[in-house]
Amino acid sequence: MDGSGPGGQGDVLLRATGVEKRYGGVRALRGVDFEVRAGEVHALVGENGAGKSTLIKIVSGAETADGGTVTVAGTALEPGSTQAAMAAGIATVYQEPHLFGELDVAENVFLGRELRHGGRVDRRAQRARVVELLEQIGLDPAIADVRVADLPVAEQQLVSIAKAFAHSARVLVLDEPSAILTDREIEILFAVVRRLRAAGMGVVYISHRLDELAQITDRVTVMRDGLVVAGEPTASLTVRRIAELMVGHAVGGRGRRQRAVDGEEVLAVRGLGRGERFRGLDLTVRAGEVVALYGLVGSGTSDIARALYGITPATDGVVAVDGRQVRLRSPRAAAAAGITLLPGNRKAQGVFGDKSIAFNISSAHLGFLSRSGWFDARREREVAEHYISEIAIKAPGPDTLVGNLSGGNAQKVVLARQLVEKPRVLVMEEPTQGVDVGAKEEIHRLVLELAAAGSAVLVISTDLAEVLELADRVVVVRRGSVVREFAAGATQADVLAAAAGDAGTTPGGTAADPTSAPTSAPTGAGGTP
Amino acid sequence: MSVLATRPEPAAAATTRRRPVLRGVEGQELVLIGVLAVTWVALSLATDTFLTGGNLRNIVFSVAPVALIGIGMTAVIVTAGIDVSVGSQVAVVIVVVGKLVRDAGVPLLPALAVALVLGGVLGTVNGLLVSYGRIHPIIVTFGTLNVYRFVSLQIFGNEQVSGVPGTFAVLGGGQRGQLLGIPAAFLLAVVLGALMWCYMRFWPTGRHLYAVGGDPLAARLAGVSVRRRVVSAYVLTGVCAGLATCVLIGSGGLVQQNAGAGLELAVIAAVVIGGTSIVGGRGTVLGTLLGALLVGTITSAVTLLGWSSQLTNLFIGVFILIAVGADLLRERRRRSR
Repeated sequence: MDGSGPGGQGDVLLRATGVEKRYGGVRALRGVDFEVRAGEVHALVGENGAGKSTLIKIVSGAETADGGTVTVAGTALEPGSTQAAMAAGIATVYQEPHLFGELDVAENVFLGRELRHGGRVDRRAQRARVVELLEQIGLDPAIADVRVADLPVAEQQLVSIAKAFAHSARVLVLDEPSAILTDREIEILFAVVRRLRAAGMGVVYISHRLDELAQITDRVTVMRDGLVVAGEPTASLTVRRIAELMVGHAVGGRGRRQRAVDGEEVLAVRGLGRGERFRGLDLTVRAGEVVALYGLVGSGTSDIARALYGITPATDGVVAVDGRQVRLRSPRAAAAAGITLLPGNRKAQGVFGDKSIAFNISSAHLGFLSRSGWFDARREREVAEHYISEIAIKAPGPDTLVGNLSGGNAQKVVLARQLVEKPRVLVMEEPTQGVDVGAKEEIHRLVLELAAAGSAVLVISTDLAEVLELADRVVVVRRGSVVREFAAGATQADVLAAAAGDAGTTPGGTAADPTSAPTSAPTGAGGTP
Repeated sequence: MSVLATRPEPAAAATTRRRPVLRGVEGQELVLIGVLAVTWVALSLATDTFLTGGNLRNIVFSVAPVALIGIGMTAVIVTAGIDVSVGSQVAVVIVVVGKLVRDAGVPLLPALAVALVLGGVLGTVNGLLVSYGRIHPIIVTFGTLNVYRFVSLQIFGNEQVSGVPGTFAVLGGGQRGQLLGIPAAFLLAVVLGALMWCYMRFWPTGRHLYAVGGDPLAARLAGVSVRRRVVSAYVLTGVCAGLATCVLIGSGGLVQQNAGAGLELAVIAAVVIGGTSIVGGRGTVLGTLLGALLVGTITSAVTLLGWSSQLTNLFIGVFILIAVGADLLRERRRRSR
């Protein structure tokens, strides 16, 4: 599948051959071949679930493959051992830096392999070496003595790269390093990566920001559904082409058919912003409409969600519900304003795991479920039983503890909670994250039914297929600003290219591909009554 | 008490990347030294009795057991653990060693060895349960607190041990327990504290304690033997408890069944006041020793000033809250950047 070996003058440092991995019934990797040469920066791209992170985990020893081999400079790598991978020269820098806040930078770099002098840690030698490293990387050498907890996250990440550098790594794996960095920080990162490339290192660069690839990578390997679908020199690819390869050709029009929504404007957002996270957000959602806010991880969509939930309030702009201006200073204020929330990250935010389904559903509606001040336990049960059958929550009964349910079913319980009283505005973040396919369809059906019944629904998601399946309009956010809006029926490649920074996309304008619209009907998405 | 008005932490270090004023002495330790100095000056002015050799000897001697156990406890809490069973460990060791020296006439050094080994064994049980049993440390040691107390009561056999000879008098509070006029038990705590401070600061395995408490998963990935470090901290605490027991029976005489009861709270108070973070990853033995001294000073001061002894609890409580509050503020300031 590999094209012509481009900047392939260097020796092959890392080679994965026929790597397979299963999780339960899911084939995460189906015979993947991948190689990195000395002196090249090799991009690894693919949608969420394509298998990139599984491949990386196998290469760095955090997971054991079910089949296939990994060799480093021709020597087979002992599987499933992070120590062996590190010893072979593979250094992995994860998105969240794993550093020790109370130790200083020099100590972090050498932790576990301290330089010693008579049994003691030789701080002077470590410091000297780290100062040298920091200078090479272009960081202020004075931070060698600074505790890591006192550094900004971006510098912490560069420190983890310095750490890889210090241990004479030959292959450096960068897992979405730019997702949490600002532009200036990304420039520093790129300078470091170029220096490593010049020094003959092989770099694996994982990123969702496709516009970066032309700047920094020599070759691009695209994964989809556990397979490598392309491996070509970066110079021969456009952002648009990469996006197409990522989503595949078969999925032309999974999106909804366009339909007229003429309900009154329910949610209106003007100029919403918060520091560098996002700015100037304008958005309206009408009654009966589903609007999706789509952006890559780190684009600012989750910050927008948090602002609308009142968790971290916005600093600029105004929000109005039904024409009435509201201040979203807390989740409670958001609820009072008529905004019903379905937060992402259910495990942490949404459920009481050690309580029953009935309790979880009723907990937000104690007033609604009470008669003259007394809580009506029988009605609580009735409501719970109704939703268990209505949205097919797989559980023996309303008394089952939510902690014992699968992720998808727990998700449905949280959704059911929001439906007891029909919401005026429903804001959902990643409504189907970590949910199996069947549950996903049920949840999508519910969302569309809610909209059909007159709710204004805003879906904030990084799941492209979901966005296109649900939305009447897709608003694409990149680097904290709206870059483009699509009507229903847009192709995945269009939306992805816009979100990933295709220079060719012109802001504004709807780009519904007319040829794809007719094929979009049989997806269970036509939820109008 | 003007000390309470003292800021818990200097306003330094916000964004400036400065190196510490005194290498190796941290902000909270400087504050504690300041608070101690202010308290001592105030007390010497307010009373005639505070600044006397006898009183100072009393204070530092009474601080010794807490300081000794605090040395081990600092390591445990830095690994994000806790050991609430130290009081019961003391009870087991005190009855065993007390009976040995009284009934079998065991001399000083063998008796000391028994105390240290026995304490080490009790600590090992805690450490193994925490690291291999994967049970939360507070649950493990709360369990062993009760089990060890039961074991000690069985050995006591419904009676206190009276007539214990002064085998450990060199560590006791009397004349024989002094070196150059300073209680030997306190000197021992200072020497051991200094050794431990160096270990946690300069030795690789000592630094790894901080890594384990900061992020155990990352520590494992960096090649740190996490379990071994955790076990070592609890073993050390047990050995320290054994040593502290020798100080407690140093003056001879009577060993009672409630020996060591509540000691864990005094030790944890000293560690926390000393600036060790209860969530792990930060703290020093120097801070713990200063914390123990502060607690001892307050206890003495309340007595000397003729105040109700209940005020001691109030002051210790307030200091704990200030210390923990300062820790939280520091964390929050870091997060907000």
